[in-house]
Amino acid sequence: MKEYDVIGKNVRRLDAAEKATGTATFSTDFSLPGMLHGKVLRSPYPHAKIVSIDTAEAEKLPGVKAVATYQNTPREIFNTSATMAFTVPALEPVLDQYIFDNIVRYVGDEVAAVAAVSEKVAEAALELIKVEYEELPAIFDPLEAMEPGAPDIHPNCSAGKNIPGEIVKIPFGDVDKGFVESDVVFEGRFKLPVQKQAQLETQAAVAQVGADGKITVWSTTQTPHPSRSILAKVFGVPESKVRVLNPPYVGGGFGVRIGLSAKAEPIAVALAKLAGKPVKVVYSREDDFIASDTRHGGYVSIKLGSKKDGTFHAMELKGTLNTGAYCSFGCETPGVMGAMGLAVYRVPNQSYYGHSVYTNTSPAGAMRGFGNPQAMFAIESAVDMMAEKLGMDPLELRLKNIMQVGDPWCLPYPCQSTGLAECIEKGAGSIGWDNRNSLNQPGAKKLRGIGAGVGTHVSNAWPFCVDYDNAYLAVQQDGSIHLAAGVPDIGTGTSTTLPQLAAEALGVGLGEVSLTFGDTATTPFDIGSHASRTCYAAGTAVVAAANDARRQVLEYAGDFLNVPPERLDIKGSVIYITGQELGEQCAGTGVCQTGAGTSVCETGEKRNSVSLRDLAYHAHLRNKQFIGVGRIVPGNAPPWQAHFAEVEVDTETGQVKVLKVAAAHDVGKAINPCIVEGQIEGGVLMGVGYATSEEITYDAKGRQLHNSLHKYMLPTAEDAPEIDAIVVEASDPTGPFGAKGVGETGLVPTAGAIANAVYNATGIRFYEIPLTEEKVYRALKQRV
Amino acid sequence: MSVKTLSFILNGENTVVEVALSDMLVDVLREKLLLTGTKKGCGKGECGACTVIMNGEAVNSCMVPALKAEGAIVETIEGIGRPDKLHPLQESFMDQGAIQCGFCTPGMIMSAKALLDKNLTPNREDIREAVSGNICRCTGYVKIEKAVSVAAKQIRENQ
Repeated sequence: MKEYDVIGKNVRRLDAAEKATGTATFSTDFSLPGMLHGKVLRSPYPHAKIVSIDTAEAEKLPGVKAVATYQNTPREIFNTSATMAFTVPALEPVLDQYIFDNIVRYVGDEVAAVAAVSEKVAEAALELIKVEYEELPAIFDPLEAMEPGAPDIHPNCSAGKNIPGEIVKIPFGDVDKGFVESDVVFEGRFKLPVQKQAQLETQAAVAQVGADGKITVWSTTQTPHPSRSILAKVFGVPESKVRVLNPPYVGGGFGVRIGLSAKAEPIAVALAKLAGKPVKVVYSREDDFIASDTRHGGYVSIKLGSKKDGTFHAMELKGTLNTGAYCSFGCETPGVMGAMGLAVYRVPNQSYYGHSVYTNTSPAGAMRGFGNPQAMFAIESAVDMMAEKLGMDPLELRLKNIMQVGDPWCLPYPCQSTGLAECIEKGAGSIGWDNRNSLNQPGAKKLRGIGAGVGTHVSNAWPFCVDYDNAYLAVQQDGSIHLAAGVPDIGTGTSTTLPQLAAEALGVGLGEVSLTFGDTATTPFDIGSHASRTCYAAGTAVVAAANDARRQVLEYAGDFLNVPPERLDIKGSVIYITGQELGEQCAGTGVCQTGAGTSVCETGEKRNSVSLRDLAYHAHLRNKQFIGVGRIVPGNAPPWQAHFAEVEVDTETGQVKVLKVAAAHDVGKAINPCIVEGQIEGGVLMGVGYATSEEITYDAKGRQLHNSLHKYMLPTAEDAPEIDAIVVEASDPTGPFGAKGVGETGLVPTAGAIANAVYNATGIRFYEIPLTEEKVYRALKQRV
Repeated sequence: MSVKTLSFILNGENTVVEVALSDMLVDVLREKLLLTGTKKGCGKGECGACTVIMNGEAVNSCMVPALKAEGAIVETIEGIGRPDKLHPLQESFMDQGAIQCGFCTPGMIMSAKALLDKNLTPNREDIREAVSGNICRCTGYVKIEKAVSVAAKQIRENQ
């Protein structure tokens, strides 16, 4: 195996010192001279027409500088999410939002906004805005919203009642024939909850409109370049006159700001234009809960057919997802749900049918896993039940059917790597799989159980959505490296792993590399941070840029050392002739610095090497800089995961305590193993919350019942199980140095593994998560 | 709006600042004293991002009326280390990979410091309890627990 100098090592994150000392700046920390503060008035009704708005009293309040409504802001229709503007042809983008509209479609929908000298004054002004509403019928359940008598939430739903965009259909083989030929068939329907990203920094933006009309927005977006495109369209200005940047850190993302940060950016810009001053909009935690995208809840149905020997023969998957009041990613999420759901197992006959449905609830969009955790809760529960029907060990059944390299599958790119079998083996070892049926003493009140789940994911969005990357890398006049990439660092370590990749590809130390990121004005276009793509896809562009610069360096050095460039290599910022002793190192004070550098040193000795520092300066004195450009369309590659959960179910209270999760992940080459483990661990705990406690529900009037961190039950440190993150490296030929995605994968099979563990403990099969105390207690009582 | 003078010791320095009766400590720190290392994630004492140490105790500064800090000794993330000599917790958070998005980090470190200031031999439960009011959505807390434990050991060895 090739030895690497910079990648594969647990170097300290390059952003760690700033973050550990409190000097790292986030959007919520950012301010400008003369800056005003914006606050948003939100609808108290789930569906209503605005009959009139009177802002006169609010405008009179001292300190108020602007009030924005649908009457004085652009009426350009858009979608807050990024890839909707970037879907590959065949899926028509759904545009269904205005900054403000005269119809409100969920409790929390934007009605008006105020810019004032302080947040307190802005909040006081909101109270003075008089709005007359005419209530309209509202609907909250996606199945009910599809019924003929349900209210229409948006016009032009050509695919079906309240169905945005198109229905996703993935055919593969002949599924009807497949079920006829199957010996055993399982069928079931599963219900999924609404989960919230609950990233620590709420949605925020600071907007400045220059005297020349240029717009600058500092914000929490995960995708600065696509966000710039959306804002340019909404405000009718050329993209070149809009700058979107992170300042430069973002307090988490998990999908909630792929595109705009809910409406923080357009509201801040609209207010800044009206007030003629910079405006900062920071969502309160309640704003963030009720008025920014959630994970899609809804229903997943599965029918699985198998031969007697356990060979899967047919699978049918259907998804009906609740996308809330606006589409957001409501078209892509059912697509990923189907594509990933069908990709895990080798099944010759498959079909998927899925779509979203509008309801009068908070919009659902992207959240870590993007439809995949929903699919895999259903599929991994079904596979466990199939194993029981067949009388097989669930792991044996999975090992028999999992996708292998070269297998035909429904995805538009080949499966070129899988370490799933190794993940299963290592995870099973960590959890003690063989003990799973001897964990409990007869009569025990607390029952233990072990369950497993597996899954896969993408490493970027191509070829499902437009997805490409650019990067440039410039060797500075002293031989150090400046790298520019348009991706942000939302906490996933981009600002460390991209420099690691550049340093490795070029042959320099990590300390030589500096990265500019998350800024449309100083970086070339990049789709941004989503779809587990940043290291894989932006990393591919960075490696391409480094290779381009390296080629230029070696050509120049070839002339300098009088050898063909092919004979040269770079290591530790020294260009040397391979197979020869390095020879004397120039200290940079001699011939090179005077500009008379030759391949013969001052000592008269022929040189076998030259430092990048000397070479770059030598070139500089001859009016030349080495600048590498990477322009790539990434491939795609499947990361694989096997999760094993051990739970303890208290039969007297119904409490499900997750004791341990062994999470074995094939991530391809781990560029920074510590960062990879961190991604897995964080994803696993978010998955534990998804499986056991996290859910947003609504009352009969469409109001969220879980609109704060206190009410929304996400895991704290005291709730966290032991997590054993196991890294498996099945290198993929399409990734930078073999790397694949990992950002979302920790969530994918977690709920399935936990539900299967609860079944192993109690013998009760749950078709719905989260497995709250109440739900489990009721099921235990019902059984008695 | 009535304004009062708040005098307290902030990161070892006598500090005097004009505050309104309704001002919370977090807003005075962030907006008047420009110490934005202390973060604000909810404003309701539910996330812990604004944790500072007041008279030796970790507190949510969004729940402390600023005038309650009169005469108090307050430490924030900016005051616990210097660039050339960081606090062992800052070092261990960096070394153990306990930092991802970094938004919870200052509050998390302050809660951990309040623990270690009193207990240099914390067990796992002590650590988890000390940071249980600090939400981290990125790390799963695994490396945070490890970092606190490593820092405790480091401080013990330095003594």
